[in-house]
Amino acid sequence: MPRLVSPLLFLLLFSSCTKTPPVARENPPLPDGIDTARVEPGRRGGVFIQSVPGEPSTFNPLVSEDATSGGFIGLFLDSLTRYNAVTQEIEPGLAARWEIGKDNRTFTFFIRPGIRWSDGAPFSADDVLFTFQAIYDPRYPNRSAFDLSIDGKPFLVEKVDNLTVRIRTAEIFAPFLEYVGGVGILPKHRLGTAFQDGTLQKAWNVRAAQYEPQTLVGTGAFRLRSYQPAERIVFEANPHYWRADSAGVRLPYVDFLVTKLVKDINASTLAFATGQTDAEGLSPDNVAWIERFAKRYDFLVHNRGPSPNTGFIWFNQNPGKDVSGKPFVQPHKLAWFTDRRFRQAISSGIDREGIVRGVLFGRGQPLWGPETPANKKWYNPNVTQYPYNPARARALLTEAGFRLGEDGRLHDAKGNLVEFTLNSNQENQLRVNMATVFKENMRELGITVNLAFLDFGTFVGKIQDSFDYEAGLLGLTGGGDPAGGMSVFSSKGRLHQWHPNQKTPATPWEARIDQLMSDQLHTLDYPTRKKYFDEVQKIMSDETPYIYLVTANAYVGLKDRWKNIQIPPLGSLVWNLDELWTVFTP
Amino acid sequence: MTAFILRRLGTLVPMLLAVTLLVFALMSLAPGDFLTPVKAQRDINPALIAELQKSFGLDRPWYEQYLRWLGNILRLDFGYSWTYKVPVAELIAQRAPATILLSLCSLALAWGLAIPLAVLAAARPGGWIDKLTSGAAYFALAIPEFFLALLAVWFAAQTGWFPIGGLTSLDHDFLPFGARMLDIAWHLVLPTLVLGLGGVAGTLRVLRANVLDVLRAEYVTTARAKGLPEKIVLFRHVLRNALNPLLSTVGYAFAGLLSGSLLVENVMNYPGLGRLVYEAFIREDQFVVLGSVMVGCTLLVIGNLISDLALAWSDPRVRYGR
Amino acid sequence: MVADLFQSLLRRPAGLVSAILLILLYGAAALAPFLAPTIPSAQDLNRTYHPPTTLVWQEGRLCVRLYRLVDPSTATYEPLPGQAAPLRWFSEGPPYKLFGLITSKTHLVTVESPAALYLLGSDATGRDVFTRLLYGAGISLGIGIVGVFLTSLLGLTIGGLAGYLGGWADSLAMRLTEFLMAVPGLYLLLALRAALSSRFPSDATFLLIVVILSALGWAGTARVVRGLVLSLRERPFILATNILGQRPTVILFRHLLPNTFSYLVVAATLSVPGYILGEAALSFLGLGIQEPSSSWGLMLGQAQDIKIFMLNFWWLLTPGAAIILTVIAFNLLGDALRDAVDPRFRLPGR
Repeated sequence: MPRLVSPLLFLLLFSSCTKTPPVARENPPLPDGIDTARVEPGRRGGVFIQSVPGEPSTFNPLVSEDATSGGFIGLFLDSLTRYNAVTQEIEPGLAARWEIGKDNRTFTFFIRPGIRWSDGAPFSADDVLFTFQAIYDPRYPNRSAFDLSIDGKPFLVEKVDNLTVRIRTAEIFAPFLEYVGGVGILPKHRLGTAFQDGTLQKAWNVRAAQYEPQTLVGTGAFRLRSYQPAERIVFEANPHYWRADSAGVRLPYVDFLVTKLVKDINASTLAFATGQTDAEGLSPDNVAWIERFAKRYDFLVHNRGPSPNTGFIWFNQNPGKDVSGKPFVQPHKLAWFTDRRFRQAISSGIDREGIVRGVLFGRGQPLWGPETPANKKWYNPNVTQYPYNPARARALLTEAGFRLGEDGRLHDAKGNLVEFTLNSNQENQLRVNMATVFKENMRELGITVNLAFLDFGTFVGKIQDSFDYEAGLLGLTGGGDPAGGMSVFSSKGRLHQWHPNQKTPATPWEARIDQLMSDQLHTLDYPTRKKYFDEVQKIMSDETPYIYLVTANAYVGLKDRWKNIQIPPLGSLVWNLDELWTVFTP
Repeated sequence: MTAFILRRLGTLVPMLLAVTLLVFALMSLAPGDFLTPVKAQRDINPALIAELQKSFGLDRPWYEQYLRWLGNILRLDFGYSWTYKVPVAELIAQRAPATILLSLCSLALAWGLAIPLAVLAAARPGGWIDKLTSGAAYFALAIPEFFLALLAVWFAAQTGWFPIGGLTSLDHDFLPFGARMLDIAWHLVLPTLVLGLGGVAGTLRVLRANVLDVLRAEYVTTARAKGLPEKIVLFRHVLRNALNPLLSTVGYAFAGLLSGSLLVENVMNYPGLGRLVYEAFIREDQFVVLGSVMVGCTLLVIGNLISDLALAWSDPRVRYGR
Repeated sequence: MVADLFQSLLRRPAGLVSAILLILLYGAAALAPFLAPTIPSAQDLNRTYHPPTTLVWQEGRLCVRLYRLVDPSTATYEPLPGQAAPLRWFSEGPPYKLFGLITSKTHLVTVESPAALYLLGSDATGRDVFTRLLYGAGISLGIGIVGVFLTSLLGLTIGGLAGYLGGWADSLAMRLTEFLMAVPGLYLLLALRAALSSRFPSDATFLLIVVILSALGWAGTARVVRGLVLSLRERPFILATNILGQRPTVILFRHLLPNTFSYLVVAATLSVPGYILGEAALSFLGLGIQEPSSSWGLMLGQAQDIKIFMLNFWWLLTPGAAIILTVIAFNLLGDALRDAVDPRFRLPGR
């Protein structure tokens, strides 16, 4: 690639990928509590290069609200437990093991003895205590405090001894282990002063990362080496990491992890396709041309199967009125939207296969429920499906009292013309395409759909605050524990978009979903939870408050030279970065 | 001259006030605010949102927010970025050099290429150089900058001759000084070409017309009559006078480049002010927007000032008046 | 005077060719519904990213070749050897309204159903790019004309008054123009669009964009007009009207401004490209015209996807070619007119 300006330029890092490693790494002795990775032992050295669209806004987990920042924080802060993305199970992390009390509310974590922070300071139960103290401190409002509480009641965290921590929840809390696995433990010896001062939220901001990267101390596989805004972030191997392979070589194998910061997904994709990065998640429409570069830059494109992302259309079923007394939705339209047969008819009228074939280049599948097959632990395959069938759609509409006028347009029983406006945000081209297909599909049924694309902010304002819209098209990232869907499925929820923030459930089926969601949250037994959540998915597909559209397949491209690659169905594709290694073939 | 400079800088104050007030008012008219995307996430507590709103001052009316910001400005506190939790001044100081570098390079390209071409074209109006350059200029002026930027990205991807985006290579920090400069220059090539092309064409057209005007002047005839070589006539006598009207437009040209670089930076993934501003606008990160608007206007006024000074230096007839 | 202008235009081939080209373009935009083989919203999910169909002469008629989808994952089509469908001239197709008035079903040319006529290929949902290009022309070219009209009106009034009245009105107007020319325009554009967009229905976006662009663009014209009025004011014929005691408004609108007309025509012609490019830039940033309407800027904005370059869907870049062609034509025409009026006339700030 750099042929023009010759070997001078790509001197150090690039040569290190291909020849002997020039980096001398510290090698402190392994602690007693070292975790032995069950992987094929590899060789140390090499640089892993990736690119990320966007820019981290902070490196402080108490401030972070976006996924980009969260991703970087996860690289250098580890938690008591660890999520195995391939098995979708919880595994030991900084805690070697844990015990669950008889009441199903008390969890005792046993920390690995001898492990250290990346600056060499010993790790202890005090750090865990400090982390929870910081999260629950009212001076530092943060999203974890909400996740780690039940009805506003925080967990009770106690230090048993220097290496043992006991956490008790107010009630049985199903996703406890998964949520605790998301809490990066903070170093008390580094942040204790800032915590006392009340300046904890200003700590570890991007400026600190830029000028004092060594102060960002963690337990993760990597530690920050340098950060240049809008250009790149360089992490180096943490010499005190708590994992090693069976040959006693401390992980991670790679010396450096370089992340190029790029403007958007397009730029990121392009960086991979031109051989500049080692791994990249790819959208289905780009797979075809990227594969043409595979030989030239020695990479392979893997199909991960369906992505966890959902896309759906819904109708505003909010019966409320605005301050001037005007109903959010015109009453005759509200009557259509709250009629299940109308929603089912719309669903049957959508050519999902066509969307997959035309818009997604055949790389995707129709979606019928709130979870996609990617969430293999919770996905219910037996939900009601509505294959493309205009005849059935017309039959359902007739049954609900609609009839076609002489002009070929649909009218309801009272003679009102069936017409509505579909809102969506304009930033997402795939969504724009789906909306235009939907409009054409509805025209076949005699329904007139007007499209209105708004800025994301305006759109969210309509959905959440002013409620003055008729129908919306949006997507949510699915996957993970059903507890994460409380705000969507529960009728009290803020993201229960068709009718949010209900005082009491408006319909019997919403009441049933409320009950099921509450029940699944208060048991630790997986089969029981699965049974409850399966029923939630089934009800959602029967009642179709969300008319699900399609889910695209997810693809990843990976350079051939990396070993120990395990591609998970969802989440980050290089979740096990610490285990990756490469042979140094030129 | 000092008085002139001071007076010109004095006009900056009302202008900055007006522009920031306008931009702020418009931004607060726009629906949603910095916290809107946060509201759309599925597991954020409404209480947290309310708390953040309060700490950002977003619960106050917009004029109160503006006055508070203005008060801080008087104490040289430009606010901090809600996105990055970093003072705005620092953020801009980080990004501005890259944009100024790009703009200066484009300006240099525009002048470096346009001056000789314009003189050559005007020396023989209707000749092949003239026809070729004016044809190319028409074309260059007609291509939307972002479209050209797209083509450049595609070109870089296809050939692999130039880097796609960024200002430095991965190994930049490890290189000796000379190689580092080369590295930056190599990254600047495509953005400079894209941003500068329109400038080349515009300058070329204006300069060609100026040169043609000057060629009709009597002193040129005199110079020729004295038997001076045509080269000296063209480049010493004609060019200097033809450049004068152009000097006064440098300030505007610079402003144009700042606007243009917003698009080019975003398409070409260049780490400058334009990307920062655009993101800040989209996210409604108020203080960053206001800060960048101020920097943009200030640069413009300074650019105009410098071009006036340059004009006064090159043309003795100009006096420091209004 | 206007007649003189056109006579001199006839003597300049580049200007003449440009004028003819522009007339053709505007004509095509006006007759778009009739000239297009279909309507811009008609989709075909079985034929997305279809390449332009080739026309062949077969059995004494002009025919379009038939294609087969070889590989859906790369949207590769290949022509079926020897198979073609005849073009049907002045035949029936989807109904439309010409000039917003006349309802009709007759299209210039269509083909029988299983075959498809994609003169410039199809887009991500199988819509005809040629049709969308024609419909989009109406918006893109219209923005140029309406925008220039508004700008000229504003510039003429403000510049004329400033030049004629002088004094504080003049300095106020000039400070305002300096301010407008000094503000980085794109920043204001972003702020204006964000503030106004949600207050208008999406159909009004077109007008909104024109208004924004002309609100930012009148300064240059106003300065030109002011300068012209200032110099005209001292001419004997104006002095004469003054002495005759005519009212100032009459002098301004009856005598002063008409004399600036030819300059204004030149200035207007040279400013149209600014509007066309401005619309393109706005749409590119996602702040312009929206689906399901079409404009050249929107179409080009949608083509910024890298796969379009890499899979060589070149026909999706034709809006770019259309923009370039139009802008060149306007510039050539403007230059020709300028040479006819006053070769040394220049627009400020450009």
